[in-house]
Amino acid sequence: MTLTGTIGAICLFPLRNIIRISVALGIHPNVLTLTGVVINAGAGWALAMGHFETAGFVMLLANIFDFIDGKVADELNLSSRFGGFWDSVMDRFSDLFLLIGLIYLYASLGHTDYVLITALTLMFSVMTSYARARAESIIEQCKVGFMERPERIVLFMIGAFTNRMAAVLWVILVLSVLTVLDRIYFTWRELRSTDDEATV
Amino acid sequence: MTLKQLLALPVLVVWHGLFWTFERTTWQYDLMVIAILAFVWVTPPGWLSDPMADGPGLIGLITQLFR
Repeated sequence: MTLTGTIGAICLFPLRNIIRISVALGIHPNVLTLTGVVINAGAGWALAMGHFETAGFVMLLANIFDFIDGKVADELNLSSRFGGFWDSVMDRFSDLFLLIGLIYLYASLGHTDYVLITALTLMFSVMTSYARARAESIIEQCKVGFMERPERIVLFMIGAFTNRMAAVLWVILVLSVLTVLDRIYFTWRELRSTDDEATV
Repeated sequence: MTLKQLLALPVLVVWHGLFWTFERTTWQYDLMVIAILAFVWVTPPGWLSDPMADGPGLIGLITQLFR
Protein backbone atom coordinates (compact mmCIF):
# COMPACT_ATOMS: atom_id res chain seq x y z
CA MET A 1 0.00 0.00 0.00
CA THR A 2 1.18 3.50 -0.78
CA LEU A 3 1.78 6.26 1.78
CA THR A 4 -1.24 8.31 0.70
CA GLY A 5 -3.36 5.13 0.58
CA THR A 6 -2.46 4.34 4.19
CA ILE A 7 -3.24 7.89 5.34
CA GLY A 8 -6.57 7.70 3.48
CA ALA A 9 -7.47 4.39 5.14
CA ILE A 10 -6.64 5.79 8.60
CA CYS A 11 -8.78 8.90 7.98
CA LEU A 12 -11.64 6.79 6.67
CA PHE A 13 -11.91 4.84 9.94
CA PRO A 14 -13.56 7.57 12.10
CA LEU A 15 -15.55 8.80 9.10
CA ARG A 16 -17.29 5.42 8.81
CA ASN A 17 -18.91 6.02 12.22
CA ILE A 18 -20.07 9.50 11.20
CA ILE A 19 -21.54 8.04 8.00
CA ARG A 20 -23.29 5.35 10.06
CA ILE A 21 -24.79 7.99 12.41
CA SER A 22 -25.96 10.14 9.48
CA VAL A 23 -27.57 7.12 7.85
CA ALA A 24 -29.26 6.12 11.13
CA LEU A 25 -30.63 9.66 11.51
CA GLY A 26 -31.75 9.60 7.86
CA ILE A 27 -30.20 12.97 7.10
CA HIS A 28 -30.67 13.86 3.42
CA PRO A 29 -27.29 14.04 1.63
CA ASN A 30 -28.16 17.38 0.01
CA VAL A 31 -28.61 18.83 3.51
CA LEU A 32 -25.16 17.51 4.46
CA THR A 33 -23.69 19.17 1.35
CA LEU A 34 -25.32 22.50 2.21
CA THR A 35 -24.17 22.24 5.84
CA GLY A 36 -20.61 21.77 4.59
CA VAL A 37 -20.83 24.96 2.52
CA VAL A 38 -22.25 27.00 5.40
CA ILE A 39 -19.43 25.79 7.67
CA ASN A 40 -16.88 26.56 4.95
CA ALA A 41 -18.24 30.12 4.84
CA GLY A 42 -17.24 30.26 8.52
CA ALA A 43 -13.77 29.02 7.58
CA GLY A 44 -13.56 31.78 4.97
CA TRP A 45 -14.43 34.32 7.67
CA ALA A 46 -11.76 32.88 10.01
CA LEU A 47 -9.19 33.13 7.21
CA ALA A 48 -10.25 36.70 6.52
CA MET A 49 -9.65 37.54 10.20
CA GLY A 50 -6.24 35.82 10.08
CA HIS A 51 -7.27 33.08 12.53
CA PHE A 52 -5.60 30.28 10.59
CA GLU A 53 -5.78 27.56 13.25
CA THR A 54 -9.50 28.15 13.79
CA ALA A 55 -9.98 28.16 10.03
CA GLY A 56 -8.14 24.83 9.83
CA PHE A 57 -10.48 23.21 12.36
CA VAL A 58 -13.58 24.70 10.73
CA MET A 59 -12.39 23.48 7.30
CA LEU A 60 -11.81 20.03 8.76
CA LEU A 61 -15.37 19.96 10.10
CA ALA A 62 -16.85 21.32 6.85
CA ASN A 63 -15.03 18.77 4.76
CA ILE A 64 -16.31 15.89 6.88
CA PHE A 65 -19.79 16.86 5.65
CA ASP A 66 -18.46 17.32 2.15
CA PHE A 67 -16.85 13.89 2.19
CA ILE A 68 -19.70 11.90 3.70
CA ASP A 69 -22.60 13.29 1.60
CA GLY A 70 -21.93 10.96 -1.34
CA LYS A 71 -21.44 7.93 0.91
CA VAL A 72 -24.65 8.68 2.84
CA ALA A 73 -26.51 9.09 -0.47
CA ASP A 74 -25.31 5.63 -1.52
CA GLU A 75 -26.29 4.05 1.81
CA LEU A 76 -29.75 5.63 1.77
CA ASN A 77 -30.25 4.90 -1.93
CA LEU A 78 -30.70 8.61 -2.52
CA SER A 79 -28.00 9.03 -5.18
CA SER A 80 -29.34 11.17 -7.98
CA ARG A 81 -28.11 13.22 -10.90
CA PHE A 82 -29.39 16.35 -9.18
CA GLY A 83 -27.41 15.36 -6.06
CA GLY A 84 -24.23 15.21 -8.15
CA PHE A 85 -24.99 18.60 -9.71
CA TRP A 86 -25.85 20.15 -6.32
CA ASP A 87 -22.61 18.78 -4.83
CA SER A 88 -20.48 20.23 -7.65
CA VAL A 89 -22.11 23.66 -7.44
CA MET A 90 -21.81 23.78 -3.64
CA ASP A 91 -18.14 22.74 -3.90
CA ARG A 92 -17.43 25.80 -6.03
CA PHE A 93 -19.05 28.03 -3.38
CA SER A 94 -16.90 26.40 -0.70
CA ASP A 95 -13.71 27.06 -2.68
CA LEU A 96 -14.74 30.65 -3.33
CA PHE A 97 -15.54 31.33 0.34
CA LEU A 98 -12.04 30.23 1.39
CA LEU A 99 -10.22 32.16 -1.32
CA ILE A 100 -12.30 35.32 -0.89
CA GLY A 101 -11.49 35.14 2.83
CA LEU A 102 -7.78 35.11 1.99
CA ILE A 103 -8.17 37.96 -0.53
CA TYR A 104 -9.83 40.03 2.22
CA LEU A 105 -7.03 39.17 4.65
CA TYR A 106 -4.18 40.09 2.30
CA ALA A 107 -6.00 43.23 1.16
CA SER A 108 -6.46 44.34 4.76
CA LEU A 109 -2.74 43.73 5.38
CA GLY A 110 -1.89 45.84 2.32
CA HIS A 111 -0.23 42.92 0.49
CA THR A 112 -1.42 43.50 -3.06
CA ASP A 113 1.03 40.86 -4.31
CA TYR A 114 -0.79 38.13 -2.40
CA VAL A 115 -4.18 39.61 -3.30
CA LEU A 116 -3.18 39.01 -6.93
CA ILE A 117 -1.78 35.52 -6.27
CA THR A 118 -4.95 34.52 -4.38
CA ALA A 119 -7.17 35.99 -7.11
CA LEU A 120 -5.25 34.00 -9.75
CA THR A 121 -5.56 30.89 -7.58
CA LEU A 122 -9.30 31.50 -7.40
CA MET A 123 -9.50 31.91 -11.17
CA PHE A 124 -7.58 28.72 -11.95
CA SER A 125 -9.36 26.71 -9.23
CA VAL A 126 -12.67 27.51 -10.91
CA MET A 127 -11.20 26.92 -14.38
CA THR A 128 -9.90 23.48 -13.31
CA SER A 129 -13.46 22.37 -12.57
CA TYR A 130 -14.97 24.18 -15.56
CA ALA A 131 -12.45 22.69 -17.99
CA ARG A 132 -13.30 19.16 -16.85
CA ALA A 133 -17.06 19.74 -16.81
CA ARG A 134 -17.02 21.27 -20.29
CA ALA A 135 -14.64 18.61 -21.64
CA GLU A 136 -16.85 15.82 -20.34
CA SER A 137 -19.78 17.26 -22.27
CA ILE A 138 -17.91 16.46 -25.51
CA ILE A 139 -15.61 13.56 -24.55
CA GLU A 140 -16.21 10.63 -22.22
CA GLN A 141 -13.77 11.48 -19.44
CA CYS A 142 -11.21 14.18 -18.71
CA LYS A 143 -9.57 13.07 -15.49
CA VAL A 144 -6.06 14.41 -15.98
CA GLY A 145 -4.07 16.94 -13.96
CA PHE A 146 -2.96 16.75 -10.34
CA MET A 147 -4.75 19.64 -8.63
CA GLU A 148 -8.33 18.57 -8.03
CA ARG A 149 -10.58 19.66 -5.16
CA PRO A 150 -9.48 17.11 -2.52
CA GLU A 151 -5.83 18.09 -3.06
CA ARG A 152 -6.77 21.77 -2.83
CA ILE A 153 -8.70 21.29 0.40
CA VAL A 154 -6.00 19.21 2.10
CA LEU A 155 -3.41 21.80 1.10
CA PHE A 156 -5.57 24.61 2.50
CA MET A 157 -5.82 22.75 5.80
CA ILE A 158 -2.05 22.13 5.88
CA GLY A 159 -1.46 25.81 5.13
CA ALA A 160 -3.85 26.87 7.88
CA PHE A 161 -2.64 24.47 10.58
CA THR A 162 1.06 25.06 9.95
CA ASN A 163 0.75 28.77 9.04
CA ARG A 164 2.30 28.30 5.61
CA MET A 165 -0.56 29.67 3.52
CA ALA A 166 1.61 31.62 1.07
CA ALA A 167 3.57 28.51 0.05
CA VAL A 168 0.30 26.59 -0.26
CA LEU A 169 -1.18 29.28 -2.50
CA TRP A 170 1.85 29.12 -4.80
CA VAL A 171 1.55 25.32 -5.03
CA ILE A 172 -2.19 25.44 -5.73
CA LEU A 173 -1.75 28.21 -8.31
CA VAL A 174 1.07 26.57 -10.27
CA LEU A 175 -0.51 23.10 -10.23
CA SER A 176 -3.97 24.49 -11.10
CA VAL A 177 -2.52 26.26 -14.15
CA LEU A 178 -0.89 22.96 -15.18
CA THR A 179 -4.13 21.05 -14.57
CA VAL A 180 -6.11 23.43 -16.80
CA LEU A 181 -3.45 23.11 -19.52
CA ASP A 182 -3.47 19.30 -19.13
CA ARG A 183 -7.23 19.23 -19.59
CA ILE A 184 -7.14 21.47 -22.65
CA TYR A 185 -4.38 19.37 -24.23
CA PHE A 186 -6.06 16.07 -23.34
CA THR A 187 -9.43 17.19 -24.79
CA TRP A 188 -7.75 18.48 -27.96
CA ARG A 189 -5.91 15.15 -28.35
CA GLU A 190 -9.05 13.08 -27.76
CA LEU A 191 -11.13 15.13 -30.18
CA ARG A 192 -8.39 15.04 -32.82
CA SER A 193 -8.20 11.24 -32.63
CA THR A 194 -12.01 10.86 -32.92
CA ASP A 195 -12.08 13.40 -35.77
CA ASP A 196 -9.32 11.44 -37.55
CA GLU A 197 -11.30 8.22 -37.10
CA ALA A 198 -14.42 9.88 -38.50
CA THR A 199 -12.60 11.07 -41.64
CA VAL A 200 -11.05 7.64 -42.39
CA MET B 1 18.00 0.04 -21.15
CA THR B 2 19.77 1.66 -24.10
CA LEU B 3 21.71 4.95 -23.89
CA LYS B 4 19.00 6.64 -25.93
CA GLN B 5 16.33 5.51 -23.46
CA LEU B 6 18.51 6.59 -20.53
CA LEU B 7 18.99 10.05 -22.01
CA ALA B 8 15.25 10.35 -22.64
CA LEU B 9 14.43 9.44 -19.03
CA PRO B 10 14.68 12.97 -17.51
CA VAL B 11 12.52 14.35 -20.34
CA LEU B 12 9.99 11.60 -19.67
CA VAL B 13 9.96 12.34 -15.93
CA VAL B 14 9.40 16.07 -16.54
CA TRP B 15 6.68 15.33 -19.13
CA HIS B 16 4.81 12.99 -16.76
CA GLY B 17 5.15 15.58 -13.99
CA LEU B 18 3.63 18.28 -16.20
CA PHE B 19 1.04 16.15 -17.98
CA TRP B 20 -0.32 14.35 -14.94
CA THR B 21 -2.28 11.16 -15.65
CA PHE B 22 -1.57 9.14 -12.50
CA GLU B 23 -4.32 8.07 -10.11
CA ARG B 24 -4.30 8.74 -6.36
CA THR B 25 -2.59 6.16 -4.15
CA THR B 26 0.15 5.37 -6.67
CA TRP B 27 3.86 5.76 -5.91
CA GLN B 28 4.03 8.64 -8.39
CA TYR B 29 1.26 10.42 -6.44
CA ASP B 30 3.13 9.79 -3.17
CA LEU B 31 6.27 11.30 -4.68
CA MET B 32 4.39 14.41 -5.80
CA VAL B 33 2.81 14.79 -2.34
CA ILE B 34 6.24 14.52 -0.67
CA ALA B 35 7.66 17.12 -3.06
CA ILE B 36 4.77 19.51 -2.35
CA LEU B 37 5.01 19.08 1.43
CA ALA B 38 8.77 19.59 1.26
CA PHE B 39 8.24 22.86 -0.63
CA VAL B 40 5.56 24.06 1.80
CA TRP B 41 7.40 23.21 5.00
CA VAL B 42 11.04 23.60 4.02
CA THR B 43 10.96 26.89 2.08
CA PRO B 44 11.69 29.84 4.39
CA PRO B 45 8.55 32.03 4.45
CA GLY B 46 10.76 35.08 3.90
CA TRP B 47 11.68 33.82 0.43
CA LEU B 48 8.00 33.96 -0.50
CA SER B 49 7.37 37.22 1.43
CA ASP B 50 4.66 35.37 3.38
CA PRO B 51 2.72 38.09 5.22
CA MET B 52 1.41 35.75 7.92
CA ALA B 53 3.96 33.00 8.59
CA ASP B 54 6.27 33.09 11.57
CA GLY B 55 9.48 31.15 12.07
CA PRO B 56 12.25 30.65 9.54
CA GLY B 57 11.17 27.27 8.12
CA LEU B 58 13.43 24.23 7.89
CA ILE B 59 15.98 25.70 5.43
CA GLY B 60 16.09 28.88 7.52
CA LEU B 61 16.72 26.87 10.69
CA ILE B 62 19.54 24.91 9.05
CA THR B 63 21.21 28.04 7.65
CA GLN B 64 20.92 29.69 11.08
CA LEU B 65 22.63 26.66 12.59
CA PHE B 66 25.66 27.00 10.29
CA ARG B 67 26.02 30.78 10.67
